[in-house]
Amino acid sequence: MPSLPQRKVGIVACSGEEMAEGTVTRLAALKVLEELRPSDTVTICLPLFLAGGEGDRAFAKFYPTIAVDGCEKRCAARATELYSNTPAVSIVLDDVLAERGLARPQGLRRLTPESQPVVDALAEAIAAEVDNLMASRWSRAEGKVLEPETPAKVSSAGCACGSGIPVTRVQVDGRAVEIMALDPILEMAYGQGLRAATDGGERKKPGFFRETRFLEPPPQLMDTVRLYNTFPAEDDAYYTEAVRIAWQGFCAAKEQIHG
Amino acid sequence: MSVIIVPCSGIGKSYGTVTREAAYLVVDELRPDDTRIVPLSLLVLGDTEAQAAVRDAQVITLDGCKLACATVNVSQAGGAAAREFTVLDCYRRHKDMKPQGIAELNEGGLALARALAEEVAQAAAELEGGHHA
Repeated sequence: MPSLPQRKVGIVACSGEEMAEGTVTRLAALKVLEELRPSDTVTICLPLFLAGGEGDRAFAKFYPTIAVDGCEKRCAARATELYSNTPAVSIVLDDVLAERGLARPQGLRRLTPESQPVVDALAEAIAAEVDNLMASRWSRAEGKVLEPETPAKVSSAGCACGSGIPVTRVQVDGRAVEIMALDPILEMAYGQGLRAATDGGERKKPGFFRETRFLEPPPQLMDTVRLYNTFPAEDDAYYTEAVRIAWQGFCAAKEQIHG
Repeated sequence: MSVIIVPCSGIGKSYGTVTREAAYLVVDELRPDDTRIVPLSLLVLGDTEAQAAVRDAQVITLDGCKLACATVNVSQAGGAAAREFTVLDCYRRHKDMKPQGIAELNEGGLALARALAEEVAQAAAELEGGHHA
């Protein structure tokens, strides 16, 4: 039986030396490699795309890559695309700073202690994308992620912060949004709906209407979700739609279990 | 005119971190007035400003492994390294300074980086002397 190479995700950090953000990308990539996802990741030296051989340049065709950039020049993403293949995921530190409300990192050779949360946040974002890519199908012929055979729009995992709070990832229009504690909230809402439905006598299912059509989520569901999550105002519609999709998937799964 | 320092900053081995640390030591502590770093990522991308910088100035490259990414990329950008340093050569001269760790160098790695930085600073001084002569 031939020994097939293990599936890995390649991380290409810009490592830019002239700005603290470059140091952050480097340290975050190393944190993912050494601590968060050691068995699922490899790092690739960006300059190897030019200095290395054909094998180095072809890496991104054989393995999905995550480009991690410290600034909008996006050296890692653009160079990976230029010399190898389009990265499966491109992360720019500015986006993570904005999402998490973190201050810009300081320090070049040594980051300031206040900048460590930035490294941690970026590493968590990379690790989440590693999980997504490991769960997806990768075409070595085309060098890109294939559409899942059975689209999985909703997936859950423990929060990378180690708090134990489950994080649910929902795909909305090709964009992944993460919602904390969504699973237990849906469970609670489903249970409440079930009790309300049975109070009237005949037992009805809260999520479905006559087994074929989904009901809309209960109106208080988003209020409960917002207790545990802060959504950017401009993205509220995305998150509302994500909760609706998750609710429908949750109810569908319940109905499959309970018949 | 500043001497340009280009470290490989490789992310797979301790030697890459040694080049990064040594480059910072040179431009921050040892020769802050007449040296500066050009990030290798910009050269890889083909950034015109970075390419012009390595074409127009004296360049010192610091490489962590035999692939010599820093030197090769400077060459690809149309420049030529006036001096080329490798961590392995420096380590052969300082066998007591064994580098370990990538995100954070051990004491041996930090000592090796300083030894390399001092050699690079000396080379930069010689290049600057030649430039002024």
